[in-house]
Amino acid sequence: MRGETVRSLRRRTPLIAAVLAACTALAACGGGSGGGAGGGGDVSSLTLYNDKGAWKANFQDLGKASKAGTGIDLSPVGYTDENAYQAFIKSSFRTSKRPDLFTWATGGQLQDLVKQNLVAETTGAWTKAIADGDVPEALKQYFTIDGKQYCVPLSVGYWVMYYNKRIFAEHNIEPPTTWAQLMAAADTLKKAGITPFYQTNVLFSFVWFETLLAGTDPDAYEGLGKGTVKYTDPPVQHVMQLWKDMIDKGYFNDPGVKTDPQAMVKTGQVAMANFGTWFSGSLNSLGMKSDSDYGLFTIPNVDPSLQKTSVIVEAGPLCSAANAPHKAAVDKFNAWLFTAPGQVAWSNSRGDISFNPKAKTTDPLLTAQASFVGGGQVRLLNRYFEATPAPVLTAALDAFGAFVTHPDNAQAQLAKIQAAADAYWK
Amino acid sequence: MTAISRPATRRRVNLAAGGFSLPAVVLVAGLLYLPFLYTVYLSFTSYNGLGTPAWTAWDNYRTIFHDPDLATAARNTLLWVVGTVTVPVGLGLLLAVSTYGRRFGTWLRLPFLLPYAVSGVGVGVVWGFILQTGGAFGQALDFAGLPGKDTGWLLDAPVNTIAMIAAASWQSVGVNALLFVVGLQSIPREPLEAARLDGATGFRLFRHITWPLLRPITTVVVGLSIVGSLKTFDIVWVMTQGGPGTSSETFAVSMYKTTFVAGDYGVGSALAVALTVLTLVVSISYLRRQLSGARAV
Repeated sequence: MRGETVRSLRRRTPLIAAVLAACTALAACGGGSGGGAGGGGDVSSLTLYNDKGAWKANFQDLGKASKAGTGIDLSPVGYTDENAYQAFIKSSFRTSKRPDLFTWATGGQLQDLVKQNLVAETTGAWTKAIADGDVPEALKQYFTIDGKQYCVPLSVGYWVMYYNKRIFAEHNIEPPTTWAQLMAAADTLKKAGITPFYQTNVLFSFVWFETLLAGTDPDAYEGLGKGTVKYTDPPVQHVMQLWKDMIDKGYFNDPGVKTDPQAMVKTGQVAMANFGTWFSGSLNSLGMKSDSDYGLFTIPNVDPSLQKTSVIVEAGPLCSAANAPHKAAVDKFNAWLFTAPGQVAWSNSRGDISFNPKAKTTDPLLTAQASFVGGGQVRLLNRYFEATPAPVLTAALDAFGAFVTHPDNAQAQLAKIQAAADAYWK
Repeated sequence: MTAISRPATRRRVNLAAGGFSLPAVVLVAGLLYLPFLYTVYLSFTSYNGLGTPAWTAWDNYRTIFHDPDLATAARNTLLWVVGTVTVPVGLGLLLAVSTYGRRFGTWLRLPFLLPYAVSGVGVGVVWGFILQTGGAFGQALDFAGLPGKDTGWLLDAPVNTIAMIAAASWQSVGVNALLFVVGLQSIPREPLEAARLDGATGFRLFRHITWPLLRPITTVVVGLSIVGSLKTFDIVWVMTQGGPGTSSETFAVSMYKTTFVAGDYGVGSALAVALTVLTLVVSISYLRRQLSGARAV
């Protein structure tokens, strides 16, 4: 009997092997089916893909508030590597699992998605939010392509100068309101052996370039992002000279430093750091207190004759794929996110500013900054990182990184960026 | 025996073997060959990861061969190959030979082996802090009364690449020594004893007896080092991201930046294909040369 079974099994061995192979292949190909956004058809929760892995608790806070307000919770799926995240989102459009909600960037990156009809239009939500006074109309331009709006603003950051209040007090420095005062403060600090400003040669290497150009010639700044101004044009060359002078005067730390900027501000390794208002959260996380340990001020224009103060704005969009699986739930959530309850929940959890003037944050410095920006004496300019197409940005970040390390090679670096711009805008 | 010799049974055995190996074949084909073929296809297209790739024939290859930044990457990759083959392999051999057969030899080698347990990213983070301007290394030099406290070890080319090779060597010396010890253990006693009877000791014994007999393991260690150094990525990405500018980029870093940072999948794929071909050509030529030499011995 046993021998018969063994013989029978032997006869069937090729069949069993083939079945096993087929099962393996099916398991490999079919894995994850049914997982989908929103838990496989469950619209009580939307999956929110994001490149802000460290913000998981904030997204969960937002989800709790949203559940109370709309009945829709959030399931955040966070990435910490920006490049891996972008590759993941791009590849998801080639599958049936189009993301319901995902964080992205405005400018060229949003244009790329819109050009391929991959992202859902949000014109209706924007029109209502502006009519209700939930969002300044000035913000709409960063979400507008060919007259239509796409995505909604998740967060907004205005770029300001953070400073260590103890250091300013010790050297009798008041927050400057003109460029001359800012340079005088830098001189005072330098003479006292304190490095005035933070800068780095990776990623945020563009920050001082955008600050100086926006404060000198905002039209040229916007022209660079549209390809109508060249990096080799006189306004850009002038700014590079200005930047070099500041580096030569020793106003900046070593650009290769590996220490986090918030730690450098806290320990007084630098007195000031030029960052978006989200930097408050970074300083708070080190135990610093807003308005007592650190302060912030609007960076004055380099050119005092400019009529409005140039302020760099960074708008972080929350997008949804065209034909997303749970469109109704997404629309409901987006509409709520514009409103004060959505913005209060988000900005207080993040310790950041809100674009909604009705949403008062708990931080008086941020509230004051939001009021100043909303006051009309400001020209908002999209952050260089978003305003610049990816291939040009990559060349520019390399070039600025090389420049801050060796500031004698401005011409060569500008030529490199322009070569990338020529290739992109041809 | 008789049963296996029957043609029908043999056919069944072959079928079964084919069936059992099919999952592995499917996995290798699906996860290795298909992506590679797709990368080759993308290398002939213009593609940003969205929509449909547009056929551009050899344009991407022309682009990479005319890119001045790639000349920098080529120089740095060559530095990595030379540096990796000489420093960690040389020091690993020295460590193995000088400790092999000695009392407490294993304990002497152990500290060198420990860094191998650390990931490349971990090594990069730690050495990034040590080698930053005014970092632990600069402070140590200052403490010892030596110059170099404010030297930008990671800021100036080619010093930044050399500093990173030193950091990578710190990690790989131990494992190279371990491989050489395995090689030393496999050497038969007879030729060594015969040479000693003939009066050969110290460096002469190593030069004429031990070193030639270590050839098989040396081939493996050097071969692995060449392949590893040609695709150097993680430690550079963590320590300098290829900068400042592009001054410390390697081929692999250029490939990653072009593909995933600049979003140019076509040129990035062309770089990936070129790097694969380069690695294959170099390693096959090296192994052929070594193995034909070994047969001659």
